[in-house]
Amino acid sequence: MPHGPEAPSPTAPTDVDLSVTLGRLQLPNPVLVASGTFGYARELASLVDLSRLGGILPKTVTATPRQGNAPWRTVETTGGMLNAIGLDNDGVDAFIECHVPYLASVGCPIIASVAGKTREEFVELVRRFDAVDAAHRPAAIELNVSCPNVSGGVDFGSDPALCEAVVRDCVAASDLPIIAKLTPNVTSIATMAKAAEAGGADALSLINTVLGMAIDWRKRRPLLANVVGGLSGPAIKPIALRCVWQASQAVRAPIIGVGGIANINDAMEFLVAGASAVQLGTVNFYHPTASMEVLDALPAALAEIGATSVSAIVGSLNH
Amino acid sequence: MTDRPALDATPLHAKHYADGAAFVSAPIVENVRLARDTYRLRFEAPAIAATITPGQFVMVRLAGIDDPLLGRAFALYDVSDDRAAVDVVYLAHGKLTTALASRQPGDRVEVWGPLGNGFDGDEREIDALLLVAGGIGYTPFLACGAEALGLKEYGLVGGVSDADDASPPQKTTRPRLAAKSVTFCYGVRTLDYLAGADAFRAAGIDLRIASNDGSVGHHGLVTDLLTQALEESSDRRRRVLCCGPEPMMEAVAEICLAEQVRCDVSLETPMACGLGICFSCVAKVKQPDGEWDYKRTCVDGPIFDASQIEW
Repeated sequence: MPHGPEAPSPTAPTDVDLSVTLGRLQLPNPVLVASGTFGYARELASLVDLSRLGGILPKTVTATPRQGNAPWRTVETTGGMLNAIGLDNDGVDAFIECHVPYLASVGCPIIASVAGKTREEFVELVRRFDAVDAAHRPAAIELNVSCPNVSGGVDFGSDPALCEAVVRDCVAASDLPIIAKLTPNVTSIATMAKAAEAGGADALSLINTVLGMAIDWRKRRPLLANVVGGLSGPAIKPIALRCVWQASQAVRAPIIGVGGIANINDAMEFLVAGASAVQLGTVNFYHPTASMEVLDALPAALAEIGATSVSAIVGSLNH
Repeated sequence: MTDRPALDATPLHAKHYADGAAFVSAPIVENVRLARDTYRLRFEAPAIAATITPGQFVMVRLAGIDDPLLGRAFALYDVSDDRAAVDVVYLAHGKLTTALASRQPGDRVEVWGPLGNGFDGDEREIDALLLVAGGIGYTPFLACGAEALGLKEYGLVGGVSDADDASPPQKTTRPRLAAKSVTFCYGVRTLDYLAGADAFRAAGIDLRIASNDGSVGHHGLVTDLLTQALEESSDRRRRVLCCGPEPMMEAVAEICLAEQVRCDVSLETPMACGLGICFSCVAKVKQPDGEWDYKRTCVDGPIFDASQIEW
């Protein structure tokens, strides 16, 4: 039966060590914002103290510009939303020229999110960031091998051999820490986590969106122009939590939990389930200051269960 | 946070990031029915009321619940005379707006704004400002018309929201719309959907109404009213502002193009964040190279020169 630690010793919130280590990547705290839910960070500069974040993952960048899918691109569902943006972005050249100088100046770790159509394209994208001068180079790269809205995107996330190979190629191509972001739309998340770990990933981000659909029955039409899209928000939190827990049982690689995290309780649940850090995603759309509120509440939440560091509670689930 | 590179001028950045926006939990002051399914919501938010200008919008969300999850975009309708509260008008037809209609004074909404660009002023005064709206698209035009006629000013900043702030109120440098006359061509489905007519007339706006069934005003299209207003003002410096269903805006844009009158449209595309981070609300906007690109309505609009829209 689950039971809490006996007589937790009271800890002053100020004594809590918030720093986390994910393979070769060191972060000042475990509260990150997820790719595709934070634009290029500049958009939220007036509402969020960007310098305090544990990390920012800007919108996924591809080798060449992509217009993205036709509208409607998003639709609200019960406790969540579906999106099929289609990796709308101006391409890696524009990203490095236009957004990287700003991102490098905000004062928190930047983790570039990349998506390639092929192994070669993933490697090329990783090399581009590796070649950026030291002052502007991101702290790490997250491989988006799990976007459900572009053809080719999910194969790397659902075929273990392909996933391992692309991670291995990218790790070999760069000195930067490599994170693999995995999809929950697979039979066994543990199998995919093992594959990414075998490829040498410094960490795994779990989960990307859950494939879903919404319909207007009167018009007999799908609500998304792309017909299907990725479900996110509080509705998917139990799925994400389950994936993090299952993966953490299968691999030693650190895990970044993502999926429906909206407040301090959600964040703490993921840490206890086995995540070493968390990414806030959809909540940025409807409560743009949520990351600051989670960060503010974190020391007291850790102290409440007698922890003096984040790492002390990672994977501490009693079962 | 001060010595960041000034990159906003690069074309890949949007033009109107939410740099003046606040995120607040705001108590509802009033929530009153104006017409069939149509309500005016007044919420207390001094930080937003002090800076928001006509054509800008706010995102409103029901506080403390996850369903509905996302906020909804509402154009500025008006600011209270004491500059402490913001008015928006909404049509109760979806999950959030239907729930909102039963909220009472004292209940809270979460609000962020001001957002978007707002109506753009002009170097020189316009003789005749022609406003064209269909249905709930009428909401941006009361503040817009009142300001153009010099009856009310929006966007005063400084010394308003903070009692300890000793700095005197300052006018923003935003060029304001100014016009000798304002005509409002307002299309409604039926008489019972007609909202705000008294407020427009009280502001000295020449209100002309069209309805689908002839139950009020002209029995026909609002574009008929626009064509007539353009004929009447053919010897004057004119400008058209338009908000409503997309086919109506496209028709208005075509008429204005033929008449060589500048027309700005306020686009309403489905929006999840209002801040530029979700990339949902894109519209096809013509680029300098002649091709179109998807632009975020929230941070590149919602007001666009109609000739730039690929309908």
